[in-house]
Amino acid sequence: MRIPLIITAIIAFAAFLLPLVLPWGHAAIDWDSVNAGLFHEGHILGTDDLGRDRLARLLVGTRTTIFVALAAAMVALIIGTIWGAAAGWIGGRTDEMMMRIVDGLYALPFMFVVILLMVVFGRSILLVFIGIGMVEWLTMARVVRGQVLALKNRPFVLAAEAAGSPGYAILLRHILPNVAGVAAAYLMLTVPQVVMVESFLSFLGLGVQEPLTSLGILVNEGADEMDLIPAALLLPGGMLVTIIICLTLAGEKYRDRMAAEARA
Amino acid sequence: MTPLYQASHLCIDIGGKRIADNISFAIAPGEIVALAGASGAGKSMSAMTPFGLTHAIASGSAMLAGQQLIGMAEKDLRSIRAAQLGFIFQQPLTALTPHRTVAAHLTEAACQAGGARPSHKDMAAMLANVGLSRPEERLAQYPHRLSGGERQRVLIAAALAHGPSLLIADEPVSALDAALRRDVMAMLTGLCRDRGMAMLLVSHDLAGIEQYADRLLLLQDGRLIESGAAAVIVQKPRSDYGKALMAATPRLDEALPPLLAPGAILLEARNISVHFPKAGWRGGWRGENLQAVDNVSLTLAKGETLALVGGSGSGKSTLGRAIAGLGPMQAGTVIWQGKPLPPRARRTAEHRRLIQPVFQDPLASLDPRWSVAQTIAEPLRWLLPAAERGTMGGALVTKLLEEVDLPAEFATRKPAALSGGQAQRVAIARALAADPQMLLLDEATSALDPLVAGGVTALLGRLQKERGLSVLFITHDLALARRVAHRIAVMENGHIVETAPRDTIFSAPQAEATRRLIAASH
Repeated sequence: MRIPLIITAIIAFAAFLLPLVLPWGHAAIDWDSVNAGLFHEGHILGTDDLGRDRLARLLVGTRTTIFVALAAAMVALIIGTIWGAAAGWIGGRTDEMMMRIVDGLYALPFMFVVILLMVVFGRSILLVFIGIGMVEWLTMARVVRGQVLALKNRPFVLAAEAAGSPGYAILLRHILPNVAGVAAAYLMLTVPQVVMVESFLSFLGLGVQEPLTSLGILVNEGADEMDLIPAALLLPGGMLVTIIICLTLAGEKYRDRMAAEARA
Repeated sequence: MTPLYQASHLCIDIGGKRIADNISFAIAPGEIVALAGASGAGKSMSAMTPFGLTHAIASGSAMLAGQQLIGMAEKDLRSIRAAQLGFIFQQPLTALTPHRTVAAHLTEAACQAGGARPSHKDMAAMLANVGLSRPEERLAQYPHRLSGGERQRVLIAAALAHGPSLLIADEPVSALDAALRRDVMAMLTGLCRDRGMAMLLVSHDLAGIEQYADRLLLLQDGRLIESGAAAVIVQKPRSDYGKALMAATPRLDEALPPLLAPGAILLEARNISVHFPKAGWRGGWRGENLQAVDNVSLTLAKGETLALVGGSGSGKSTLGRAIAGLGPMQAGTVIWQGKPLPPRARRTAEHRRLIQPVFQDPLASLDPRWSVAQTIAEPLRWLLPAAERGTMGGALVTKLLEEVDLPAEFATRKPAALSGGQAQRVAIARALAADPQMLLLDEATSALDPLVAGGVTALLGRLQKERGLSVLFITHDLALARRVAHRIAVMENGHIVETAPRDTIFSAPQAEATRRLIAASH
């Protein structure tokens, strides 16, 4: 769990801090060197066909992707936890109805909905959040509901009721803290998923707006020129794969640890 | 006579920690030897490790029919296990493969040492041998169709299918309902006697050992404390540990301990009924209900202990929870000193503080994230009026810890750092925090070791005397009920079939269910 997290941390630090010290911004055009090769006059990774610094664009793209992923995962965590905890805690008919809504949303063709949103409201980073958040909170809600249902029948919850704790106090002080570990584990697994979804949307041209960039846009651009400049595809692609693999590995390890803790 | 199995100077280590130290014993052909001791004493490990069934490392010597098992290659060990040994484990509910029929299990067991494939008739005979009714039908059934007792019988049949000369039984009946335990034990030992098969029995049920085993080995912390004829040790243990263990184990023939006389009627439950929607899509679809408690009434006096005794599924826990306002209740009233208590959702702090529960699983009844002090302070915060609570929260916690014989420094510990007995004492301290008048003890000692359970039972008795508590004592153990209760109520299928003072219920049992329970407890 430690090595993947360290790699992710290094990537995140580079993406958030290095653009501040690079001589070229991600949108600045160097008219003197268009389509430059590696190490050309201060462009370590060269420039693209518009003369923009590839290293700056790679780092900024990574930054956008990580930022969108974290924000969308937090949205998923908050909505999913509230929804799932409410359904599991209240139970009965309310639970049935809330979970059928979740099932219904699962059944929507997600890409179709996002494309419709983009067409109707135009491209914006906010819509990307909403689109991704709409899908990702569903799994979180199911996970949290399951945990709450299991905890609700534990004797310590019954003992808390006997100790006079009102319902909200049991939920806030006994149940949610015990759900937190599992929710955090699934949050760690949600982030790489969102990275993938965001890149996919950007690849299709539905993500963030130029000149801002993301890994998906860079992969898309790189795919066009991969026969001439393989690095244009391999660098953003490699970055994407590294982030997803590292976060997934760390998340699965953490989830297993939480599951073992819950059993003990 | 040469022994069938001989362990000498047997030591077991796990990860550098010595679990069993220098244990020597022998089992003659056809002899039943019991290994007993508190949990963590190393009894299962000592029994299983020489046969290569644990991850522990055995050293010393273990000879089975002249062959040294220690240091033997896994391949040879496996063929010895298949040919000469039979194993019965504790968990009958999970030890059968769910997608295979009973016949498939028996065939696999019989063929494991290269034996011939048993015919349908042979397998039916095996099942009949272990006391299963309608054996022909059972062969085609899957495990989920069988009850716990039936599954354990199938497992025993499978363990015996290839005719082993030594049977290793690790707590073979402790997962079963109390009423079934003696039946299965009697059947198992009967089969051993008939076939001249030896058995190494790991168990903590001393009364069962006395009745069924020839010899007893008593382990404490991995060392052999005492060994000899089972009946002699159980009746007259020589070691201090043995004496303490025997004294802590309730027996039906022990002298009745004196109890304080109860006072006026405190609580009266009238015509309580509880039902649950039936599980499974069929029951739920049709709106069918399972009647867990059916029109039951009982009374409890001040300072009195009433034991609710019955098999699993008899409705005793459901009834207790309904009375304490901790479970569903569809009909009936609970009257406290002449005034009815409101239903569960409307019970306020002043109702809640009257009755406090202690549950069976001590660790599950403490929030794993809360410290002992936080746990004990929870009822103080919600149930005690501010005037009574005052500013002495911390001092009250210390006083309560002292009352349940725990040192004050336990206040900062988390449940994971507590043993079962300590956790149960914390749960008792929490129950006492709001100064209740009645305790609901739901199998409060049955998940604990005999010695620890004895200590907790003694503590509860002392607290009852000091505080004049009334106790509703839910248990499956008739001998324990006899030790603590003024009156005993026997439950079966959601009804109380008999309520009587403890002396009369044993001398003159009225109901059939009572007689069955008493017979099962001997």
